[in-house]
Formats: sequence, structure tokens, C-alpha cells
Amino acid sequence: MKFLMITGRTVNQGVTVENKTSPEYAAETSTCFMHEFDMMELGLDDGDAIRVTGPCGDVVMRVSASVEVEMGTVFVPYGPYANHILSAGTRSTGMPDFKSHMVEIEPTDEAPKLVHELMEDLGGLAYDR
Amino acid sequence: MIVKDAVCPFCGCLCDDIEVEVEGDRVVAVTNACELGTTKFMGEKRLKNPIQRVGDEWKDITYDEAIRYAADMLLSAERPLLYGWSGTHGEAQCVGVHMAELIHGVIDNTSSVCHGPSILAIQEVGHPGCTLGVVKNRADLVIYWGSNPIDAHPRHLSRYTRYAEGFFLDNAFRDRKVIVVDVRKTETANIADEFVQVRPGGDYAILSALRAIVQGKTETIPRTVAGVTREQLIRVANLCKSAKFGAVYFGLGLTMTPGKYKNIRNAIELVSELNRHTKFTISAMRGHYNVYGSNEVNTWMTGYPFGIDFSRGIAFYNPGETTAVDILARKECDAALIVGSDPAAHFPRRCLEHLAEIPIVQLDPYPNATTAFCNVQIPVAVTGIDAEGTAYRMDGVPIRTRRVLWSDYLSDEEVLSRMYALMQEAQQP
Amino acid sequence: MTELLVKNACVIDPLRGINGDVMDIAIRDGKIVEEVSDAAEVVDARGMLTMPGGIDSHTHICGTKVNFGRYMSPEDMRAGRTPRRGPMHATSGYSVPTTYGNSYRYSVMGYTTLLEGAMAPLEARHTHEEFTYTPLQDTMANTLFDGNWAIMEAIRDGDIKRVAAIIAWTLSAVKGFGVKLTNPGGTEAWQWGKNVSCIRDPVPYFEVTPAEIIRSVVEANELLHLPHSVHLHCNNLGTPGNYTCTLGSMGLIPDLNPKRQTLYATHVQYHAYGGSGWKDFCSKSEPIANFVSMRPQIVIDMGQVMFGRTTTMTADGPMEFNLYRLHHDKWSNHDVELETGSGIIPVVYRRKNLVNSIMWSIGLELALLTKSPWQCLLTTDNPNGAPFVKYPEIIALLMSKRYRDAEFATVHPDTGSRVPLPAIERELDWNEIAVMTRAGAARALGIQDLGKGHLAPGADADIAIYPLKIDEVDPSAEYQKVIDGFSQTEYTIKRGRVVARRGECLVHGSNATFWVRPKVPENYDMSKDPDFIEKFERYYTVRMSNYPVQEEYLSRNRCIETEADL
Repeated sequence: MKFLMITGRTVNQGVTVENKTSPEYAAETSTCFMHEFDMMELGLDDGDAIRVTGPCGDVVMRVSASVEVEMGTVFVPYGPYANHILSAGTRSTGMPDFKSHMVEIEPTDEAPKLVHELMEDLGGLAYDR
Repeated sequence: MIVKDAVCPFCGCLCDDIEVEVEGDRVVAVTNACELGTTKFMGEKRLKNPIQRVGDEWKDITYDEAIRYAADMLLSAERPLLYGWSGTHGEAQCVGVHMAELIHGVIDNTSSVCHGPSILAIQEVGHPGCTLGVVKNRADLVIYWGSNPIDAHPRHLSRYTRYAEGFFLDNAFRDRKVIVVDVRKTETANIADEFVQVRPGGDYAILSALRAIVQGKTETIPRTVAGVTREQLIRVANLCKSAKFGAVYFGLGLTMTPGKYKNIRNAIELVSELNRHTKFTISAMRGHYNVYGSNEVNTWMTGYPFGIDFSRGIAFYNPGETTAVDILARKECDAALIVGSDPAAHFPRRCLEHLAEIPIVQLDPYPNATTAFCNVQIPVAVTGIDAEGTAYRMDGVPIRTRRVLWSDYLSDEEVLSRMYALMQEAQQP
Repeated sequence: MTELLVKNACVIDPLRGINGDVMDIAIRDGKIVEEVSDAAEVVDARGMLTMPGGIDSHTHICGTKVNFGRYMSPEDMRAGRTPRRGPMHATSGYSVPTTYGNSYRYSVMGYTTLLEGAMAPLEARHTHEEFTYTPLQDTMANTLFDGNWAIMEAIRDGDIKRVAAIIAWTLSAVKGFGVKLTNPGGTEAWQWGKNVSCIRDPVPYFEVTPAEIIRSVVEANELLHLPHSVHLHCNNLGTPGNYTCTLGSMGLIPDLNPKRQTLYATHVQYHAYGGSGWKDFCSKSEPIANFVSMRPQIVIDMGQVMFGRTTTMTADGPMEFNLYRLHHDKWSNHDVELETGSGIIPVVYRRKNLVNSIMWSIGLELALLTKSPWQCLLTTDNPNGAPFVKYPEIIALLMSKRYRDAEFATVHPDTGSRVPLPAIERELDWNEIAVMTRAGAARALGIQDLGKGHLAPGADADIAIYPLKIDEVDPSAEYQKVIDGFSQTEYTIKRGRVVARRGECLVHGSNATFWVRPKVPENYDMSKDPDFIEKFERYYTVRMSNYPVQEEYLSRNRCIETEADL
């Protein structure tokens, strides 16, 4: 199913932002907030894993029901998971399209990776796993 | 020991009324700060010493070795990028500018991925703003547009708007109206007197509609605009015109959505228009505690707030070309110094792929996502905790952060100054 | 010990009455001395015009609004760019250069001391940070008190001593130098989108008038024995017919200080307008200059306008909004809680515009019609009337009737019927220029006793040597030589070191900041006053303990202590 993906700051993302190697930060930034009708349509329960595919790749997150988002829109706390699938184009402004990407979402059996695994997938070497 | 009036080094509110209780070299209690600030003051898990990646291993190195590595890396780079800067004090940012100038590098700060578009708009139409205390004491109308202070700037509401006392307001909570404009019904929307829910991407149209109504062209407005009814738009415009003092605080919900700086331009022009009827101001909800300081420092030293390219010797500014995401996505830079930010967590994937290919030195107290791409990471003291220095609040008020405890860590300024000295030495004829 | 000997200098030093004598100047460890040893390094001035270093008594170079002028104007930054070269850092900007740009360009013109015209106390730290990066001039900051709540309340209560005490605490806290009133009362009214029309119009809520603010603050200033007088930007800037308001403001001022003026009225060009609207707009420089000439208690500066592009910036927020509505270009405004405000817009002054042509004439007229050059100092209110790099042209205009006539022929043709300029024959001489650009500025600021503005033994060795032979150049005819000569020194010496030579700056430098700490009796110490503290903590958004500017922000600290009469 296609969704508009919006990223943004949350308290939990902020609380864990200085400790990005923590499981809490990974859990927060790999959460995808979705309207419960959309979840029903996809057959998802709170905490189920989903594969989110954007213009530059795909990433596994966990879904969470939210009354804040409209149907057809998902909200993901700003961080490495959303960025894993975003395009780097800035339309000559320096600013990527952090709040206007269309993504494809489907259920999956895979679990979300940890932050350091995402970094290692792109050629990094985790220090503190 | 209790340190009073400490300055919180988390968000752009730069709250300076924090009480921090210290035992030895540890913070044991924090009063007055929000959850974000408290967590930062209590932060643990710091890197103990500089580390270097050797093959697939990390090894500990000395500060001298790390600083020498960084200086050599930057000196031998053809197109170095010096990025970050919003999470450090102004004195360190100044050294960074001198360094970029010396090695003909590019220096950019995190505003290119937060309020860079706001700056572009201000460069087109200016900025009618004010300090936070003006709003606190006078505003009878506050509009949060595409910003969610309960999550991102938790004490903004209690210190300056919704729950703040105001000199010219008898009963500030009752007399001050709050409007929230957002695509989501956020926590902040729940405490608003009026919530305007915009269809994603519709902010520009809403702003244009409000401008038209303020100019008296109500008949041109269709029944709904981007999901908002004409009745609500007229109500909001009337609230604005009848306020004695109105203040707009906008966030990344305007800068990151389609239209980007044109959204901000439209919002500023709405506010300029409203000033013909009453008093109105507009300000950006700046994120990092000193991101505004990095704009200020860069501006007085180079003329430009971010995205400055010294490759031709002079300071050259062209956002979209000389900004970090673009330079990384084009795979253009051949070395990077990262200070006080974490691009690997916050930049799109393609940028990270390039970070993996070039040498990187990072100054940061904690292991973070960018650590994985570093050749060397140098832990530093945390400004506002074990280092002091200047920070600029979101409204431009400069405050000296306090040191609440003493540690052996060097400050960003000390590390960068030593690096710069080595680079100057190497460049002597 | 370092020694320097400037030989064969043709010296003009008005504070000592030296006018064109050829002499040597001895310098040891940054100060002028009677003589130096044979080991001293020698600078041969070869009969060149040698004066104390230039002092700009009113310029906007450092601080929140100046930086915002840069921030919002990449087009201006592009208009003046130089790369890093030797000890010189890269610079950007034309009308609002970067701090290094200001410092180098002033230094090349022989300026060694600058007064920042307007510093909001709450944002003082910013001004001091930028001072640190203005390395080749000593600096000081006028501190804004025009909309200060505590002061207006004390005036309402008729308590002048409390006014003085608040000024004393604030100046000490923010490391300020002088007391500035910008559109007194108007900046507070502007926080409601309103203004005051002239000096009898009460400020909303506070119910004091600008006249009461001006008079009370002038009295308080003298109670504190501050080196400088109150520095006033009159109400009603830039509006036709405002000269009556200006005369009314000046008429409030008694002569209270034998050493210097009691009021410094700044950029008076903007306050010397006649007419009832833009259609009959005209010069009223004559009544203003005559008024000043009869009152030793008043010193003014020109606020000269020069044609071309620049950026206007002032604490006078409502005035900038009016300008915005005229020009429709970008507009910035920044109100500061409990204190003051500011506004910025870019402008272009055009010869083909009648109003602009009249403004250009008025500034020159003020300088030529005020009898004593000690009472009218040379400024452009940089960058409001023009960037300071235009000073050499202004000097040449004041020294040459022929140059003025040549320029006048190019301005709007109707200008002649609105201004007295064409009828003025006076040509200023070298000595008068020296007064208007250094000696007079030092006296007006009250810093001559601190070794500024003259070359007597004991003075700071701040010296400008211009490649001009005053006995060979006829400034009346050879005005281009005057412009060239004042544009670039042969040597600029700061604190005994050659810092600039023929357009190149040679050292990094380190500026000193002058600030004032008035000593007040215990019962007038605001840091212990319960009412003051209570209101501060309730209505400011910064804690009182975080408000004072720490001494870390002063690279060289020149604290002036005064004894207050309270």
C-alpha cells in the first residue's frame, strides 16, 4: 500500500538522541506511526514488522497505531531508518524532501535492524554495539 | 554541590534557569529542565579517549595522535567538508571558520537540513521578529505552524507562551489564544484554542488564502483550501487582525515540506501584511541549542549563515551547491571533519555511502551513528556540562553556558585550536 | 620594550594646537613618549600629513542588528569579497562588511577607534563577540535605554537617582560605554505597533513623554560622571518637518558639563527636514546649525548621505517599518524585551531622486554652517547614509566648493530651490577635518584623557600617516588627490605598531574595549534592590545572574571607573 511518509521530532527521539547506539533510540526511530484503519487494511497489529520501500531502498520498521496521523499518511521519528530510504535530492535548496516522500509499505517477517547494522550495511564499522 | 541558573544545552529555547546537583564528577539531579534537557545533563556512556579505525578494528589513541591525524587529513584534502557546529559553543565555531578559510574548504552547519530554507526566505523578504520575552509579556495570540513544541521544545509553552505569565496580560492563560496549524493532530494541537489541520503540502495555499483575507479579498477564497474550510480561514484571519500582539512560531513542518523556502516567504509576507493592521512577529523554532549561534558566527566572519565554500579563497555561498547534503550526494568532498552533529543519523542514505568512502574525523563526546564512518573520533567536553562558552538562543539572545562540573576532557575549542595551530605551522612558507 | 620613531611627520594635532608642524613622534611600548633610544625602529613620514588615528564617534559595525543586516543580504556580501592574504582573513560585504572587512577597511583609512552606535543590553554579549573579531580598532558601545521599563518607571516616579542607578548597573553589567536614546519612548510604543510623534507624546502604559525621558536621562548621565554625554537619536527621524522636533529636543538641554557637551545628537541630517510632506520637502539645516552654534552644550554628527546602495539599520523600529512601506523591499524588525528594538532595510540613494538629493545636501550644509568643527563631527551613521568607505569623498566635498558644484550639477534639478548648499562658499581646512574625524570625536566621547585623539606624551600611539603633502596640494582644486590621500594611509599605527601600509593590513591585532563602571552607594546598587530583582526575574526571559557580560568577552579590558553623585 502506498503512503505519504512524514518525518519529525518526538520527545523519545530527543531523549535518546545523544545515545544513538542504544536500543531505545533504535526502537523509537524505527517506529512507523499509522492510522488504525490502514493497519487493518494491511492486517497489522501494533508492533508488527513492516517493510517500507522508498526511492532509494527499503528498511524494516515496526508499526504503531496513532490517532495523530490521517489515513494514507505515516509518521516516522527523524533518524537513520527513515533516512535509509530517502532521496538526497534537495531541489537546489540544501534541504532533502524529509516530509514528502511516497513509500510502499507491506508486512514482513523480518525484524528491524539495529542502527549499527544499518551503518555497516552502508560501509561503516560499528564501535559500540 | 548545586549549580543554579545553569543553561540547558539541548534545544533552541536555551533555558537558563536549570538547577543541577553534582556529586564529584557526576550530575545526580536536575531541576526545572524538561525530559530532553534532564537526559542530556544526566548523560553517560561517553567515549573515554580518542579512537581510530584500523582495518576492521578500533584502537585507542592519544589526543596528540588524533589531532595530528585530523590536521594531516585536512591539509591533504582537495575538497574538505567541515560540517556540524550546532552542538558546540561559538568560540569553537570561530576556529572552524578560520580553519575552513585556511584550507579552502567548505563549512556548513546543520541549519542546511533544518532552517536553511527559512534563511533563504529571510534573504528574500526579511524577518519581522522579536525576543521571546516580548511575546511572553505582550502576545494575546500565538500561532504554532508546522511545529510541535511539546515534543521538540517542551518548555517553550511554559516559559514564553501558553502557560507563561505576561506583564500586559491580566490572566495570561485565559487571555492568550493559541492556534496550531499542522498536518497531524499533535500533542500541541490538543492544547490549542484552534487547530487548523492542513492537507500535507497545503501550507503555501493556506498562507496565500490568509493573506488574501487579510487584504480584504475574502470573496476569492474557495469553500475549502487544502482541506481547511473557508469559515475557519476567515476565523483565523480575524483572530490575527484583532489581536493586539500576534506571534507566529514555525517549524520544520514548513521548511521540509514541498515549497520549502517559499512557504516561509509566504508566512513572512503574511506577517508583514498583518503589521499594517496590528503588531505581528514571526520566528523559527530553532532546534539545536546553538544552531542559531553557528549562523551568527558564520555570518560575522564570512558574510553568510551556512553553506560557505572557500575553494576560491573568497567566501562563496550557494545553497543547493555548497551545502553538505548536496556535496556528499555528489560524492564531491574527499575528507570531512564533523563537529557537534550526527550526519549519519540525519542524512539520506546516498550521503552515508559517500561518508563510508572518505576519511572522517569527528569531535563528539558520545559514540553515535557517524562513529561507524569515522577514521578517528575525538571525545570532547560537553558544552554546558563540563565546558563553557557562548550559545545563541532561537531569538538571537546570546547566553554563556555554564560549566557544572570539571572533567579531563578538552573542549571543542581547545581541540580545534590545536588542530588549527598544526595546520598553520604546516602552511608556513 | 619596543620603540618606534616617526620622523619628519607633518603633524596636525588639534587638541594640542599643532597645525602642520614638521616633527618627530617617539613611541615606546604602545604609548607616545618624549624621546626614544637610537635603537628605535624608524618610520620616515617624509613630510606627509600625520594625525592622531581616526575616531568614528557613531558607526554600526558589531552586534545583533548589524549581523542581521549581513545575514539577510547575500547580495551585499557578494558586493565586496577579498580572499585570505598574509595576515588578512577573507572578507565579504560592501555596506555591511564582515567584522574583518570593517576592521581592515577602517584601518586602511587610518581609523583606530570606533564607537558602535547602538547595543541592546540583553544582546550585548553579541556586540562584544564581534568586537573581538574587529582586531585593528579599539571599540566601545553605546548602550540603548530608550525603552527601558525600569527607567521609565523611575521617571514616572520622579526618581532621577534611581534612573542613574539603573544606568550604572546596566552599563557595568553589559560592559557598555555610553548612554544611547534612540527615538526615546518610540521603541516601546513600537512593541504595540505604535510610535510617538514627538517629544510631548506619552508612551503607552508608562505615561512618560520622550521629553521627560531625555531630560531625566541627561541629568542621570551627569550624576554618574560618565565620560560621554547622552547620545540621542531624536524622535521622528526621516519625516518632513521634523526639524521642529529636533530643535525642541535640543532646547531641553541645559549646559551641565564644563569639559564636554551635555548632549550628543547623532545623524542630524535625518532630523533637519522641512516641509509638510514629501512634495514640499526641503532643507532646514540653517536653523539647526544656527541653534547648535549658539549652544556649546550640544555636539552633533552629520549622518551624511552619499549616493548609491546601502543598508539602513537602527534601533528605531517604527521608522524602518515606514521606510519599508515606502520602498517595498525586504524588511526586518527585532524588538527586544523590556529594552528597545531595531529594524533593517536595504536602500538605494539616487541622484535622480529629489528627496535623496536634498538629504545629500543637508548633511554637507550642517557641517559647513555649524561654525565650530568641534560641534559637528563627520559621520554617515555608517552604513545608514553610506558605507564609511565614502568618508574620503565627504572630506573632499567639505574642502572644495568646486567639487560640490560639480556634484551638485548632477543631482535632481529641483534641488537648488529646496536647499541652501549652492550659496555656501565655506571650504574646510585640514585642521578642521582633523577635528571632525578625530580630535573633536575624542573630546565629545570624553576619551581624550584616556590618551585618544591626540599625540601628546602619554597618549596611545594611534597614528594615521596619509600620503598627502598639505603644502603642495590645493584641496579646493585638487579634490581627487584629497580623496585618494584619505582613502589609503601610507602607515596606520595602532598601539605603537604599524598595522596597515598602503592598503595592506600587516598584523592580526587585538582590540581594546572601553567600558564604564560607575561606583554607586550601596543603597543604589540595583543588584541588591528587591523590586528591581523581582521584576527582572519575572519579566525577562534570561535570569539576572546570566545577564552580565563576563570579562572573558573583552580581549583587552579598559574599564573606566567613575564616582557617582547619588
